[in-house]
Amino acid sequence: MNKLRLGFFKYSCCMGCSYFFAYVHKHVPEVLASFDFVFIKMLSRKGIPDGPFDIALVEGTITEAWQADELKIIRGQSKKLFAIGSCAVIGGIPAIKATAPELEVEKRVYKNLSSIHSIKPHAVDAYVKVDGYIRGCPPAERDLYEALTSVLTGRKPDFPQHSVCIECKLKGNLCVLIADNMPCMGPVTNAGCGALCPSMNRACYSCFGPMKQANGPALAKKFKAMGISRDDIIRKFTEFGADTIEFRKAVEMVYED
Amino acid sequence: MTGERTFQKFKRLISKKAFLLWLDSLKKDYKLIGPRYYRGNHAVFKEVDSSEELFMEYETTMLSPGKLFLYKPNDELFRFAMNGKITIDEIAPIAEKQVIVGVHPCDVNAILYLDRTFLGAFKDPHYEARRKNTLIISLNCTNVGDNCFCSSVGAGPFLHAAGGYDMLLTDFENEYLVEIKSREAEELFGLEGRGAGRDELRLKAEKEKAMQGKFRKTINVSGLDNIFVENMGHPVWQQTAEEKCLSCSNCVMVCPTCFCYDLRDEMSMDLKTVTRYRCFDACQDIRFAEVHGGNFRQRRAARLRQFVTHKLGQTNQYGVFGTVGCGRCITWCPTGIDLTEITKEIQKHEPA
Repeated sequence: MNKLRLGFFKYSCCMGCSYFFAYVHKHVPEVLASFDFVFIKMLSRKGIPDGPFDIALVEGTITEAWQADELKIIRGQSKKLFAIGSCAVIGGIPAIKATAPELEVEKRVYKNLSSIHSIKPHAVDAYVKVDGYIRGCPPAERDLYEALTSVLTGRKPDFPQHSVCIECKLKGNLCVLIADNMPCMGPVTNAGCGALCPSMNRACYSCFGPMKQANGPALAKKFKAMGISRDDIIRKFTEFGADTIEFRKAVEMVYED
Repeated sequence: MTGERTFQKFKRLISKKAFLLWLDSLKKDYKLIGPRYYRGNHAVFKEVDSSEELFMEYETTMLSPGKLFLYKPNDELFRFAMNGKITIDEIAPIAEKQVIVGVHPCDVNAILYLDRTFLGAFKDPHYEARRKNTLIISLNCTNVGDNCFCSSVGAGPFLHAAGGYDMLLTDFENEYLVEIKSREAEELFGLEGRGAGRDELRLKAEKEKAMQGKFRKTINVSGLDNIFVENMGHPVWQQTAEEKCLSCSNCVMVCPTCFCYDLRDEMSMDLKTVTRYRCFDACQDIRFAEVHGGNFRQRRAARLRQFVTHKLGQTNQYGVFGTVGCGRCITWCPTGIDLTEITKEIQKHEPA
């Protein structure tokens, strides 16, 4: 079987997804056997970012205009394009700056703004069509294999779209939100992590971002009733999902109060 | 194990100490499962090493024993390989002998409800194997939780089901009133104790009556089927869905009678084997009613309504209520949605 051509592209992020993909997960040898790594900065400086690609994995938020341009070219050259990691899927940590005016953010970091060309941070799917989302920070292992095997076998990938609570209950964890009164973001967060934090008696902090149609305002109301301060609630909803409609609604509701 | 045959009822009073010792003696053939203290004021059903670990005074648990040890969260069904042609490798049902002790009446009724699904017209081999090898020892309730409403739906606080379980215990201070309900239990149970006479049975009836009066949550169940059908568009659905419901599926996961499952395939990274497994599904998941070309329950309100009406409104499915009144969905809902409150809101506008 001919190896499929794979490109891994990085925009504004910590490059943790490339690291995870190249070194950490369980099936690195199998992935190397099935894919030809045409371009991945984590492994080699020599690769050329020129297509065509059978599969393109994109990590990182789009925060500069050139990134959007390059992304569009990559989309044109790739059969399948997956957003990988919270930054590419929902905006992630770089999207925290979406909560303040762009100039204000730039001024806070840089003295001389003449060479800064940043734009409002957006997820990858704000610019191009995406074939699937490998969520998480770091990305969910199961979702990564699902995306890769779906490309190898030519079927539609199946990613979970339910809340972390389902995974948490399947594991038999006692609910930390109700039993321990911790501000857990599990009920509005997309599953995939295997309820990692609640299994360790810690509140979920929504690194996978909101699930589809999540009811952010209702959970924000619950946090308020639990006595969590206004600022803390806003931080909880803007840590990863500041650029998502579901969480922005919750933040807006808190602001209006 | 099934309640088809009727047995002469054996009623004896056994001291608690002797009973627990008898449970320990079962350990050589059976896995002993019972309520264990966890943390805070919570208990969980878990395998115990000795009867000393049992916490029989527990009020309720988050997950019901039926959905932990009979209908399991994850079940591997078969594996198949694709090397030119497809070869199927079935996974035989594993059934260890187990005894579940201290199951409250609501949870026993919930297991009987699961039986209707998995041992009905189509028998599920995995569930059937486990059910056959499980001894259920029920324990009548001694206190009423804040969210219990089993008395309203006839599932508690004392168990009245004809069969389908093995023993029934009632707390008599230092003794248990033990009622034996199956032949297997009759053969296993060797303790003599003293026979229970008319006085003890009257005392049991009095205890039940006293318990009935303690319920803080009640619901009028007459004609609910029709009331729900007529109020599909009632504003309470939309209002609750908007203000409270997170569609997080906690209610479904903790419900002892929710039986919906999903079949999933997991492919190995070398593309050689695929494992098909079954896991709990939830009607609050947006993909639950997704079919080719659309989604029956796109709106959150529709999904919430599905859960509530399946618990309280669709008695034509199995002839009993889908709820056993354990109140877990109320306790473990992050925003405290209460299906009895929703029902009362709808009943307000109905002529009694």
